[in-house]
Order: sequence, then structure tokens, then C-alpha cells
Amino acid sequence: MGYKIYREKFADLFHELRASYEIYAPVTKKDKGMYSDTDLITYDKVESFTEIVFDKKTFFSPKEIVFPIRQTLFYFTEDSVLEPTKLEKDIVIFARACDINSFRSLDAIFLQNGPYEDPYYKKLRQRVKFILLPCDGFENCYCACLGTNITDNYSAYVDVRDDAVYCKVKDAYWKGLWSKYGEESEVEPRYVSKNENTFEIPQKINNSIFEHQMWSEYTNRCTGCGRCTVVCPTCTCFTVHDIRYDDNSKYGERRRVWASCQIDGFTEMAGGHGYRHKQGERTRFRVLHKISDFKKRFGFQMCVGCGRCEDACQEYISLKNCIHKISEIMAEEEKV
Amino acid sequence: MSVDTKKLVKNAYRVTKERYLTALRVRVPGGHLDTKQMTLISRIADRYGRGEVHITTRQGFEIPGIPMSRMEEVNREITPLLDALQKTTGIDLKVTFEGYPAAGTRNVSACIGNRVCPFANYDTTRLAQDIEGIIYPNDFHVKIAVSGCPNDCIKAHMQDVGILGQVEPLYDSKRCIGCKACVDNCRKRVTGALKFHNFTVQRDHEKCTGCGECILKCPTAAWTRGEKYYSVVIMGRTGKKNPRLAAPFLRWVARDVVLKICENLYSYIDKHIDRSLPKEHVGNIVDRTGYPVFRDEVLQNVDLGERAMVAKHINFGGYEYHSNASF
Amino acid sequence: MIRNPYMPQEAEILKIFQETDINYTFRLKTDLKVKSGQFLEVSIPRIGEAPISVSDFGDGYLDLTIRKVGRVTQALHNLQPGDKFFIRGPYGNGFPIDKLKDRRLIVAAGGTGLAPVKSLINQYYNDSLEIKSLQLLAGFKSPGDILFSSELEKWSKKFPVEITVDRGSENWKGRVGLVTKLVADLDISEVENTMVIVVGPPLMMKFTTQEFVKKKISIGNIYLSFERKMSCGIGKCGHCKIDDTYVCLEGPVFEYSKAIQLLD
Ligand SMILES: Cc1cc2nc3c(=O)[nH]c(=O)nc-3n(C[C@H](O)[C@H](O)[C@H](O)COP(=O)(O)OP(=O)(O)OC[C@H]3O[C@@H](n4cnc5c(N)ncnc54)[C@H](O)[C@@H]3O)c2cc1C
Ligand code: SF4
Ligand code: SF4
Ligand code: SF4
Ligand code: FES
Repeated sequence: MGYKIYREKFADLFHELRASYEIYAPVTKKDKGMYSDTDLITYDKVESFTEIVFDKKTFFSPKEIVFPIRQTLFYFTEDSVLEPTKLEKDIVIFARACDINSFRSLDAIFLQNGPYEDPYYKKLRQRVKFILLPCDGFENCYCACLGTNITDNYSAYVDVRDDAVYCKVKDAYWKGLWSKYGEESEVEPRYVSKNENTFEIPQKINNSIFEHQMWSEYTNRCTGCGRCTVVCPTCTCFTVHDIRYDDNSKYGERRRVWASCQIDGFTEMAGGHGYRHKQGERTRFRVLHKISDFKKRFGFQMCVGCGRCEDACQEYISLKNCIHKISEIMAEEEKV
Repeated sequence: MSVDTKKLVKNAYRVTKERYLTALRVRVPGGHLDTKQMTLISRIADRYGRGEVHITTRQGFEIPGIPMSRMEEVNREITPLLDALQKTTGIDLKVTFEGYPAAGTRNVSACIGNRVCPFANYDTTRLAQDIEGIIYPNDFHVKIAVSGCPNDCIKAHMQDVGILGQVEPLYDSKRCIGCKACVDNCRKRVTGALKFHNFTVQRDHEKCTGCGECILKCPTAAWTRGEKYYSVVIMGRTGKKNPRLAAPFLRWVARDVVLKICENLYSYIDKHIDRSLPKEHVGNIVDRTGYPVFRDEVLQNVDLGERAMVAKHINFGGYEYHSNASF
Repeated sequence: MIRNPYMPQEAEILKIFQETDINYTFRLKTDLKVKSGQFLEVSIPRIGEAPISVSDFGDGYLDLTIRKVGRVTQALHNLQPGDKFFIRGPYGNGFPIDKLKDRRLIVAAGGTGLAPVKSLINQYYNDSLEIKSLQLLAGFKSPGDILFSSELEKWSKKFPVEITVDRGSENWKGRVGLVTKLVADLDISEVENTMVIVVGPPLMMKFTTQEFVKKKISIGNIYLSFERKMSCGIGKCGHCKIDDTYVCLEGPVFEYSKAIQLLD
């Protein structure tokens, strides 16, 4: 069902929504950019509709809402192991189609990979409802090449234009709320149909790519900072640590924290053994995970084409450029 | 030809080795100017000089080879430069068609700052222009430079007053992935103010220079920018007697403190300068009065703020040319 | 409430056997059902967790042979019988017992690599593993690093056991050299009917396997046990992933034909 709701009215609707949900959306954090006098556009909890930024891509992705950067698994007291039990409200996330689709990749790892579901992820994930945002595409995106430009997985769609908000509500539970504030109107989500960047992801990547000299370029260029992985909405790796509290050594916690295949230590084991020491090897591992390995397990691409990894890389390393190179090498091999 | 050289010098011209030829010194506060002014400078060099422009160490321009007889014409022609100076610095020069009203206080120079440089903690051009607005026109010989961060690319440590941008880094442990990029960088490139303990980064404020590199290194924005601060170093100088690097005077002070001490510096000079000399350099005045007098007068009516650190005493050091200890 | 697979269970230490200066075997009281080649996540609250292979098991107990190398393993070594620590698992696939049936088996182990195969060897020793024959080749850094000395002694009475050390000592009368050398010297009678298990440090596994291939053992008949950094053991943390394979899920034991496809 579609609605047209005037801005002031929508603010009221939002207010009502906020009574029952924690709402996350793209916001501007003034002067919180890495460089002085720059802002950070990122996901955060919002109190009012006016805080939401509709026309910019967020630097970090919404994954941290369901997969916090640091998450306590257990609290230890002297003689017990306790799970954190924080009861929270349900969660609403304002997101574009690519970001909503990224949750499919997260779900695959946390809920499907291996014999167990990850209970910490699931607890948060099952509370999430999405409000879809329209998108006209940004620099470095290529969602349309992956089909992640479109989604059906949303409870409502919200498009702010001029003095009104054009909405489509799919969640039966929400229809009453929306109809209370707006008049019915024909609304269909607006998706990107073609990005500035269009290319095909190679369907078949031969093992010969492992030995290819194309990766040595990344050994020279990549600094192993890990930005590409922390901004990626689909990177899921973590490491588990135990902490002993400084003020009382009998208490502590076990927690997990994001890990990155690009950063030193990811494969390092006791005894000093490790794998993929060169940044080129790490880049290969990351890129193939995104566009090939994951797909072999789950049948769809992990990468959603949001372009954040490229936006964030200070060395101007571009995933699309890398994929393009792989395609060319594979096409060349086909010919031979 | 009769020329009042004192007047000429005050008017930002120079007595040169070529008789009857002078050179005009164009002020460029913060080293930043638009291309219209560039064009005008080159036109003046073409029309009155030798078609040459020299870039000074203080980021001004010097146009050599101007006949002293044409100074008045030149002054009229550089009116747009003085108008622009008024506009960018907020100075009220009253008349702008008679050339520069003073040259004693030197051009305030600045590194490129945060309009371009990733390391800069603030807009150095803007601060240089604001300082110029407070201290110019003035005949006292004072050199000031502002740097975006403690890297000090502008060599603020060679000035009477050098200002270095600082930022208070704020750490959010909930965002930290423990990659140690900040810790390693601080240890290798800065002062080693960061320590990794219990999977959390700890910052030693005493050691922290406020350079903000940890913020730049952090992939997850666990470090973000807090308040902007400035540190002030003083009385660095070159010269034939006792060259020395500037010594730390203030740390962790706010922008309005910086502006206020620049203003107070001139009252201090006014009070203590030896008027029997043709000119006296501010560093020599401080050598004479001693640091505590300087400090107390420059900090008069200044609200330093909670974070501020003030040097208790300063040993300027440097070397004396006549001490041949190294030879 | 979803079952929390990260929640460890407390287990009591029944006995501790000192194998070498830095390798202790801990016998735990537990009813956990495990297979040879599987591993547990072992932890001490406030210190940390580490994946450790099951070295042996029996009625109401299982053994872990732990080498002291870091935070967790050091803390484990400070425990006494009667103390408790935490375990979760078992994880991983274990050795393919069904594929070994009625075959000749050669086990090549390097250092601590002997731990994950110990239970398998003991099953053969106790006549509960249906294989035709067993031969053990074990290599250690030095005589002081030899694990399970009494077992080795016991086993050697029943089937061929060859031991070599990288560096000998004054009292050492046995062989000196790498395990690869033992393999090179082997005379394998029924090549087609021989299965091989190789466990040890990465380089040892690499060269030993190549040696077996030279001996015409089919790559489908060789099994390796991989060791990778692991933070979860259940396919979530990503540390153990190689290409599209998770060592904690599909491994740690891999057929060599698959292992050579796992490129790093
Ligand atoms: C499937 C699997 C099975 C395993 N089975 C066993 C087993 O049966 N028995 C066993 O003992 N181990 C086994 N391990 C290895 C064991 O998991 C590690 O030794 C353990 O995780 C170390 O944990 P820690 O907390 O003691 O060391 P940490 O404190 O985590 O590691 C110390 C760090 O210091 C460095 N370091 C540690 N030791 C050394 C060293 N000797 N030389 C150089 N650097 C070093 C490393 O960089 C390491 O990251 C197994 C591992 C896997 C994946
Ligand atoms: S790999 Fe890059 S483009 Fe793909 S989802 Fe991650 S950040 Fe976006
Ligand atoms: S963001 Fe760029 S430099 Fe940093 S790890 Fe990724 S590819 Fe390398
Ligand atoms: S760089 Fe950032 S994420 Fe890495 S240790 Fe420092 S604060 Fe933590
Ligand atoms: S150990 Fe975590 S995915 Fe395998």
C-alpha cells in the first residue's frame, strides 16, 4: 500500500515508531571525519527524522548494528559463566537495497555456515525490520551488475521528495500507523537500474589465478590497514579474546572483535606459523572470497557492490578494477 | 634624487644594492592568494620591474628592479592587493592606494593546512589571516608562522611565535578492533604515547603531542577528533648572534588564546622595547626582561582553559657564534 | 532460547602425564563422544580459548596433549589433577575410519602431530580398528621431545614403529634425520592397498607427502591433518578458511587430492 505523507506528519509518525523501535539510519557526525573539519556519514541510532541523511552513502555499513565491532560473549565471575542478557527493543534500519541485501551474506555465514546458528547474531538479527531507501547510485557502486540493486526484503519504503514523504508499506502490522498520517497514493520503490560502472563478474575463475603475477601489484600498493574489510557490509570475520578486568582479576569476559584478513596476524598461530604473508596474497584471498569462494558455498555472490571498499582505500585500490583484471585474464585463458 | 629610506622601508620597499632601484614586498598572509592577485603581481613586475618575481621565505613576493621614482604609481596599482588584504584579514587600512602602511611585522606564514593536507588539524590559512588581522599594520619586528600539526612543515620553530595545531584524540573502545595501527605508528613516528593493554588502547596525555595521527591510522574510527587545540613555541631565531629553535611556551590552548597572546605580545614589546636602538628584535627583549615577565604580561587577561599547560621556565639554548666549542 | 554453541562445559582433570618438558597430557572426566582426529575448544575463563586435538579417549574420559606455547597453554600447564577447565566440541571431521577398513596403514607424524593420531593407533593396538597392518613413522626435534615414550615402546612390540630425531644426543642410539628420509627408505609392498596419514608441522607435511607420492601412493589414499588459526571452531570466525573450505568444518583432516586444491 502506498502513501503520501507531509513532512511534519511524517515526523509524528517517526516519533510514534520510535516509541516501539530503536531506529538506525545514515547520519552526519559533524567533524568526526578522519580529516579535520570533515564529517563522517555513518549509521547511528536516530531520535528524529530530521537527523537522517538521505543523499549520501555511509562510510561504514549497517552491519555493526547486528554484528557489533566488539561483543561480549560471556561474563566471568569467580565461579560462573554468564551470557549477556540485555533486552532491547526491536530494531528498524533505514537502508538502500544493496545494504539490505548485504544481510543475506551475513545471514549465510552466521546462520547457515556449519552446524550451528550464531546465537548472538541471531538475537539481534531477528529483531530487525528494514525501511528501504530509494537510490540513484553513487561513485564506485556496481550493484546493478550483481542484482543487489533490488530487494523485496523490507517492511516499508520511504522516499523524501520536496515537502512530502512517499511511502510503500508491506508490513501488515505497520499499515495502520502509516494510514493514520497519510493519504493513499501509488508508490513504487525507485532503484538504480544502471550504475556508472558496469561489468561482469567472471563466472568461472580458474586456479591459475592463484599463481598469476597480477597480485604482486597489490603487494606493493596495499598497506594492510584493513579499511576495505571493516567498511564492507559483508565481511564477517572475528577473533575471540578473554579479558581479565584490571580492577578485579577474578572477573572478566570473553568477547569477540572484528578481524581482517588484510591485517597482520589473521592466520598467525602459536609457533610463528602463518599463511598469506604478502599483501597481494591477502588481497587475492579477500577478492576471491567476495566474488567466488562464498558463491561456491552459498550459490550467490557475497559482495553486494556497494563500493565502500574502494571508497575507503587510501591507496586507491579498486575492487572493480581488480575484478576487471581477473575477467581479462580468464578471457585470455579461454582463448588459449 | 632625494629618498626618505625610513619611509620607503615602512612602505614595504627595500633599499637594494642597485642605486635608485627598489623592490616591493607583497604580503601574502598564510601564503594563500587567488590568481587575480597573482596576475596583478606579475603585471607589476612586467610593467615596473624586470619581469621577475622572487618568492620569499615568509611566503611573500618580492618584486625587484622597480625604479624608486615610480613607487607612487606602483602603490596606486597595488590597491587591489591591499583591498584583498583587508577583506581576508578584516583589517581596516583606511587608505589602500598608498601602498603598505608598515613592514616591521612580517608576513604571517603558514603551511598548506587542512584545506589540502590530511595531517593538518585546522585551517592554517584562516588562522594566519586572523592573526594578520590583529597584528598588522605594525612596525615592531615580529615573525609569526602557523603550522597545521606538530610536523611543523612551516618551521614555526624558527619564529618568534610559532603555532602548531593539536587535536585531542578521543577513543571509543567499543569501536576498537585491536589492530594496533595507532600504537605502532605512535611508537615509530611520534612519541609513543599509546599503549595496548588488555586489548584496549591507553593514551598517556603527558606524552601525547596532539598530532592526530592515531585518528588517521584507525580503520574503524575508534579514534575520532575531539576539540582543536594549539601549542605555541616562542623566540626561535636565526641570525648572526645566537641562532636557536623556539622553545615550548603553551600547550593545549584554544584558538582565541592564540589570538589574544599575539595581541598581548605587542603591548609587551611596546612596554619594554629599547627605543634608543634603530630596531630591537622581540627575542632580544625577552632575553633582557626574562621569560617570567614575558609570560605574565602575554598571558594577562587570557583565559587559558582547563587543559592548558604553561612552561614554568625556558632555557632557550641555541648556540653563540663566538663560542667555538664544536671546533 | 537458542542453544549457545560458544558455551563451554566444565570438565575435571583426572590425571596429568608429563610427556616432555613442554608437553603434558591431561586426562579429563567427560562423557563427550569424540572421534579420532577431532578437536575441542579448550578454555580457561579470563585467559582464553585454544583448539586442541583429542589425543586419546575411553570410557568416561578423554586425553588432550598440550604443548606450552602461549597464554592459554601456559595457564593449562599450571593446573593440577582435581582442577577444572572448560571445553566445547568436538569439532571437525576426524579420520576416515571407514576408508581405512582392511587396508594397510602408514602413519607419519611430526612432533605434536602424533597427538591427534594417538587414539587411532591405540584402537589398532587394542584390536578395535579393522585394518590389515599399521606402520608408524615418527619424527621429533630431539630425543627430549619424544612424546608418548611408553606407548611407543608398547606399540613397537606389536607393529613396526620407526623413530627419528632431527638432532641426536649423547645417549641417543636411534636414527637421526627427517621423517622424509624414513619415507624415502620405505619399501611399500601393496601400494594400491596402502593408506597414509601425515600429521605434523606444515613443512613436514608438505615434504613427507611429496615423498609418499614419489612412492606411487595415490593422492586419494593420503590424508593430512591441517592446523590453522581458529577462533570459533564452528564456521563463523573465518580464520581457518582456505578458498571455499573451512578447516574447522570440512577438516582438519583432508584427503591429499583435496588438500592440493587448497591454495594459500
Ligand atoms: C585443529 C587444531 C588442533 C590442535 N591440536 C593441538 C594439540 O593437540 N596440542 C597442542 O599443543 N596444540 C594443538 N593445536 C595448537 C594450539 O591450538 C595452539 O598452540 C594454541 O592455540 C596456542 O594458544 P595459546 O593461547 O597458548 O598461545 P597464544 O598466546 O595464543 O599464542 C602465542 C602467540 O605467540 C606466538 N608464539 C607462541 N608460541 C610460539 C613459539 N613456540 N614460537 C614462536 N612464536 C610463538 C604466536 O605468534 C602466537 O600467536 C591445535 C591447533 C588446531 C588448529
Ligand atoms: S567487497 Fe566492497 S563492494 Fe563488495 S560489498 Fe564489500 S565493500 Fe561493498
Ligand atoms: S583498504 Fe586498501 S590499503 Fe587498506 S588493506 Fe584494503 S586494499 Fe589494502
Ligand atoms: S588503530 Fe583503531 S582499531 Fe586499531 S588498535 Fe588503534 S584504536 Fe584500535
Ligand atoms: S575456526 Fe572459525 S571459521 Fe573455522
